[in-house]
Amino acid sequence: MSTLQSVVHDASLVVTCGPGGVGKTTTAAALALAAARAGRRVIVVTVDPARRLADTLGIDASARSHDPVEVVGATTHPTGSLWAQMLDAESTFDRMIADRAGDEQRVQAILSNPIYRSIAGSLAGAQEYMAIERLHQLWTSGEYDLIVIDTPPSRHAIDLLAAPDRLVTFFSHPVYRVLTVPGRSFARVTNAGSSAFLWAIRRLAGPKVVEDTIEFFRSLSGMEAGLRQRAAETAQILRSEETAFVLVSSPRAEAIDEAVHLAGALRDGGFPLHAMVVNLVHPTPAPLGMEVPADLPPGPLTDQFDLHRELTALVADEAREMNTLRTLADDAALVEVPLLDDVQDLAGLAVLGGHLLSTAG
Amino acid sequence: MILPDTLAGMGPVRATPVWLGRTRVLVVVGKGGVGTSTVAASSALLAAKGGADVLLVAVDGKPGLGPLLGGQPLGPAEQTLRTFTRGGGRVRGRTISPEQAFGDYLELKGFGRLLRRAASAASFDLIAGSTPGMEHLLVLGKIKELDREKAADLIIVDVPPAGHAAPFLRSASALQRAVASGPVRDQADEVSALLADHQRCQCVLVTLPEETPVNEVVELAYDLEDDLGLALAPLVVNACWPERPGLSMSAAAAAKQQHMTLPAATRRALDGVVRFGRARLDSQHEQFARLDEALPLPRVQLPRLPAARLLPAHLDLLASALAAEPIMPQRVSQ
Ligand SMILES: Nc1ncnc2c1ncn2[C@@H]1O[C@H](COP(=O)(O)OP(=O)(O)OP(=O)(O)O)[C@@H](O)[C@H]1O
Ligand SMILES: [Mg+2]
Repeated sequence: MSTLQSVVHDASLVVTCGPGGVGKTTTAAALALAAARAGRRVIVVTVDPARRLADTLGIDASARSHDPVEVVGATTHPTGSLWAQMLDAESTFDRMIADRAGDEQRVQAILSNPIYRSIAGSLAGAQEYMAIERLHQLWTSGEYDLIVIDTPPSRHAIDLLAAPDRLVTFFSHPVYRVLTVPGRSFARVTNAGSSAFLWAIRRLAGPKVVEDTIEFFRSLSGMEAGLRQRAAETAQILRSEETAFVLVSSPRAEAIDEAVHLAGALRDGGFPLHAMVVNLVHPTPAPLGMEVPADLPPGPLTDQFDLHRELTALVADEAREMNTLRTLADDAALVEVPLLDDVQDLAGLAVLGGHLLSTAG
Repeated sequence: MILPDTLAGMGPVRATPVWLGRTRVLVVVGKGGVGTSTVAASSALLAAKGGADVLLVAVDGKPGLGPLLGGQPLGPAEQTLRTFTRGGGRVRGRTISPEQAFGDYLELKGFGRLLRRAASAASFDLIAGSTPGMEHLLVLGKIKELDREKAADLIIVDVPPAGHAAPFLRSASALQRAVASGPVRDQADEVSALLADHQRCQCVLVTLPEETPVNEVVELAYDLEDDLGLALAPLVVNACWPERPGLSMSAAAAAKQQHMTLPAATRRALDGVVRFGRARLDSQHEQFARLDEALPLPRVQLPRLPAARLLPAHLDLLASALAAEPIMPQRVSQ
């Protein structure tokens, strides 16, 4: 069995990650489809899917539902099913507040706070954090045999993996703690760091923002214990035996460099890297078996020879880049997937899945 | 007109395309993986070859642009990457991080020690975290300062990648909504004014001739133009397969036209690449047609280089391609 075959059959959690635009979302969907067709109940949680892929999965923006939708026609297997959900940082944040903030009044106070409104969608790392929060919810629900989580492009690997820690750090920051001590008015905040902080905000952004900020921090107080606990649990889940990280890259140097960086970060963090996928690889031309005449004038045949020569050079160049990744692979599988024509419908995803699971790699 | 526009008779100095000389600030924007940094670097090179003093600013701190232009990896300290004796042009490069921009800002505004202490590493996270968009605004504010100081003839900004471009550029208008007064508000107002000023600032959108990047760039173009009033420079379509009419026929037919006969193995090998190449060209034409329909912007097409890793020599090639007269959409669609 190829590595990704066993991942599809046995893992409980798959995380796809990698640089921007290399096919993480598509790979996540293709692996999920393969697992569903193997008879498992699977959910794929995607970030920002291409429009037609979203249509295929039934999660296009117009019908954006926050609950999982079953993908129609995904499988005929009697026990298999494929579910999909789009990840949206802001709505996941809202949902977390609604679930965790306690009484309705408090929930409303937070949700309508202007500082919260602007934080929810854009707090650095919010998307990454939400991917992880969502994962925790799905994992503890126990409703699925396999959860496939797609991640936003991570230029800095740390962004994704450190997201839970960072949010916890935010909530345990001394300034934050001082600000949230109930009953203490902001005029009497004596901690030097905090008063400097508030003074700075007031000077820079005006008193209204200071009030909103304090109000926001206060309304969140009490939630951080839960946050911290879930972050710790999620950190465990991500390192569990049932989890497989799949690193996706393209054979272009910028992507490979980033993938190398990410692979290192995964190793250092103790995350189980099972496979590296190099997607969008150009096809290797068959050898010409003859010398190209040096004095061939421009014409259709020259065009064809030129393309042959360029593709041959490109493929060699790509192989060289992939080798950098291969030397890092250790026991992780390295799977090459060719540049395909159309992978955004179920048929295309199945073809992509065939390449991913192929034993040749 | 900021760049020298009459370079006739100056030999190999390259004439700068009109659009590139139109404003001092040029912001390069695109989704991850489409090549915004490459386009930023090649534009810098092209303008410098035309005699301009260019400052290339990498916002997300991609250090690799430095070596590609013949210098050291980019860092917060400015360095000269390339100079051209012929026209007197040069390319300088640096990164700008929010922390650094914040420090500079406090310096500039003459804020005291207390505030600077508040801005120390830990509190910076808090300030940035509790005033979202602040990080972006600080960087844009720094660019606005560079423009005001006339720090270069042309300031090219390589915007953060993948999904962050829109929030980055929108940070000022978002903060204008959230913050009613104070220096942050002033800063946001001034940055918004710069972005919307067609005499001072324009935006180059970069995409690939593929379905998803085309969808995304169309969306982004309307967003930036409608919401922020940004002036859009010609669209750059990167990594285009070179047009090769010879790919429309079989190897045998092509050989016949050129009075050659090919061994069977050669024909098979050529037919294989021809099939692949034609499929790419067909889908590329389809994407050009979609752009014609959806985006009334002139565009410049950059060739796909047959290499997986970009080398300094490639940048010169791309700079020449950028110098081409932009294609008007209707002309392509006829
Ligand atoms: N093997 C392939 N052959 C051809 N096209 C592909 C292949 N894999 C992915 N694509 C296409 O490439 C585009 C980008 O894929 P996808 O959205 O999965 O990338 P991503 O890594 O998730 O991007 P982002 O970083 O923006 O999230 C899509 O249009 C997809 O259909
Ligand atoms: Mg994606």
